[in-house]
Amino acid sequence: MIETLNKAFCALPGVGNKTAQRFVYHLLERNREGGFELAKALVDAMEHVKHCSSCRTLSEKNICNICANDVRDNSQLCIVETPTDIHAIEQSGVYKGKYFVLSGYLSPIDGIGAAELGLDELEQKLKDQNVEEVILATNATVEGEVTAHYISNMVKQFDIKITRIAHGIPIGGELEYADINTIAHALSGRKSYN
Amino acid sequence: MTKVDLTPAFLIHRRAFKDTSLLLDFLTLDHGKIRLVGRGLRNSKTQIQVFQHLKISYSGKGDLKGLNNWEADDTPRQLKGDSLILGMYVNELISRLLHEQDPHFELFEIYKNFIESLATIDTLSSRWLLRLFEHNLLQELGYGVNLSEDIVGEKIDLTAKYEYQHQDGFVRSVTGKILGKSINQLLIDDIDNMPDTQQLKVCRDLNRMRLKPLLGDKPLQSRSLFFSK
Ligand SMILES: [Zn+2]
Repeated sequence: MIETLNKAFCALPGVGNKTAQRFVYHLLERNREGGFELAKALVDAMEHVKHCSSCRTLSEKNICNICANDVRDNSQLCIVETPTDIHAIEQSGVYKGKYFVLSGYLSPIDGIGAAELGLDELEQKLKDQNVEEVILATNATVEGEVTAHYISNMVKQFDIKITRIAHGIPIGGELEYADINTIAHALSGRKSYN
Repeated sequence: MTKVDLTPAFLIHRRAFKDTSLLLDFLTLDHGKIRLVGRGLRNSKTQIQVFQHLKISYSGKGDLKGLNNWEADDTPRQLKGDSLILGMYVNELISRLLHEQDPHFELFEIYKNFIESLATIDTLSSRWLLRLFEHNLLQELGYGVNLSEDIVGEKIDLTAKYEYQHQDGFVRSVTGKILGKSINQLLIDDIDNMPDTQQLKVCRDLNRMRLKPLLGDKPLQSRSLFFSK
């Protein structure tokens, strides 16, 4: 039983055998109650969390809280690679529109194409709903850029504004510590200043 | 134990590997295509990127060696739009057609020139650049075709029409689609000496035909993804 639990903890990212062992002994020796809670929460989540049928993020309901929120702006749709990206954007508090989660990026060599990213669903969504702006918030990697390019080509058939989130020097960051790719990106994406 | 220090390389493909690592495919000058593990690279602040001329150091025993160190030996390059797609397509070609650890010195230079040119030229020229790259790639892999003479040994006539016969070469034919001039332009290998739009398409189909047996039943993903419409 101890061994099984040990192995189970190794499923967590960054957790090796040593760390798993620490977790196991901590729960068994010092915090059984916490252990029961963890077990229950895990079973609940594994059984009931699915993907939102509208935006594909993780959700315990058929339609997630953000999609179900009528106060949020339906005319803006922000495309992200993962549910954690939604979390990051939500924490900033500046975005009031809706989301669509790709769960990855286009990777032809790995056989990940439009269908795997739910792009036909996205296309249908754009047909059915009154989206006025699609915000491409895929990562600033080559793969994220390819994905953004592909989606923007698809969106072009509709009368929808397409924007891409800006990439550049981190706030509070100093130029001399930024890598050259970031500086190049920041320069080519510069804005007029007044 | 292999140990290689600062060898010129291009990253061709990367994918997640275990929790925090990346599985990286490189085209290197000295050792051809190789696959390395980049331990802990997944969360590194400066991400290793494709389309950049790099210098990499790696070591290890057996099949899967580890990347120890990498540096960019290049100015930043952001391929955009169409160029980006062509770059991805070529990376898939390299990934599919090259065998691991089979050095192709010439090909490395050809790839390097291709990527560097891709960042600066217009859409139409980029198609021609791609056709020249495909041709040079086939040549490097030992699937070259005689561009100076047809299959009966006659010099290619710039004003005549030809058909391509797989693995044999060009046959003169009044109903052929390929102009002698286009065959000659492939031979000259000059980005500024480009066929017209219609012959560019003919060259595309020619290369497709030549690549097909090498790719087998598995079609190129990037072709169906990006060039179907
Ligand atoms: Zn949702």
